[in-house]
Amino acid sequence: MDTGTIYLVIAAILLLVSLVKDRTKTKNALLATGHIALSILPVLFFIFILMSFMQVFIPQKLIANLLGSGNGFFSILLGGLIGSFALIQPAAVFPFAGFLRDYGANYGAIFGFVMIAILMGISTLPLELLSFGKKFTIVRNVLTFVLVSLVGIVFLLLL
Amino acid sequence: MNRYKNSLIYIGIALLLWGGVAVFSVPKALLMGSITYDTFLRVIKIMIAVFIIIGLIKVWVHPKHLSRFLGKEAGFKGLLFASTFPIILGGSLFTMFPLLRILREKGASIAAILSFITAWGGKAPLLPLEISFLGVQFAVLRIAVIIPSALLIGIFGEFLIEKWERNSFSPAREN
Repeated sequence: MDTGTIYLVIAAILLLVSLVKDRTKTKNALLATGHIALSILPVLFFIFILMSFMQVFIPQKLIANLLGSGNGFFSILLGGLIGSFALIQPAAVFPFAGFLRDYGANYGAIFGFVMIAILMGISTLPLELLSFGKKFTIVRNVLTFVLVSLVGIVFLLLL
Repeated sequence: MNRYKNSLIYIGIALLLWGGVAVFSVPKALLMGSITYDTFLRVIKIMIAVFIIIGLIKVWVHPKHLSRFLGKEAGFKGLLFASTFPIILGGSLFTMFPLLRILREKGASIAAILSFITAWGGKAPLLPLEISFLGVQFAVLRIAVIIPSALLIGIFGEFLIEKWERNSFSPAREN
């Protein structure tokens, strides 16, 4: 059995447990699943097309030079910077990060990209300002970027 | 239909990019198509499983009732809870900010909100996808650093925000 099938079996078992416990809730869960699939699959399609575009047109050397371990701490900052501009769903972050890794990005830069893409973003900035105000937004974003960059060093050195 | 407006936009941009390449070079567009198809095949089973699990978490776990665990009086225990529990939640920042605003209005501390957002970045429901593309070592190490990071950002962030707020209030009093 491949990994995908194992995950499917686990999901099916959880679904069955949920069904036994509460039918209405399980029905709502499946409706939510459908909604999530319809909103995430198009984003995945977009990111896969973008990945294939980069694989065909962008020289591997460019990514390896910019995000490779030869670029040290700077590669982590750059990974984070790319992440903050990524207007994508968290689910699309990992496939794209995998592509960057295959093209020579180091794990520190990958960590920077993944964490910043999930936790920060120019697209969510207005909503954060509206919800929590200027001071909260500035402190959270600056602190997150600094901490992620520092922790990225651990990933750069260990993996 | 409006609900899926963004989905249509994403499909539209992707098709535009793909079609644009096809205008210049059909073989390159075909190559893009086969790469995209392969990637889809690689993740489709994992994605279906992930979608089902996120749906189940959504109905069985209600973060809206959590505010009582997240107030200042909950102390370090509350902060620890805010730094661990959100790891299992799905969603994007667009869905998190409105939810966290409700929690804040119901009495959650600034530190708890900050920790909550950071810990939510752990993204455990996507773990199968993460392992498939980046490997077990990366995924495990990333989840392991999330909890201390969430605690640190919560405690230090609240300290900074409160200090900043005190400082900007004092000149007003002098006027």
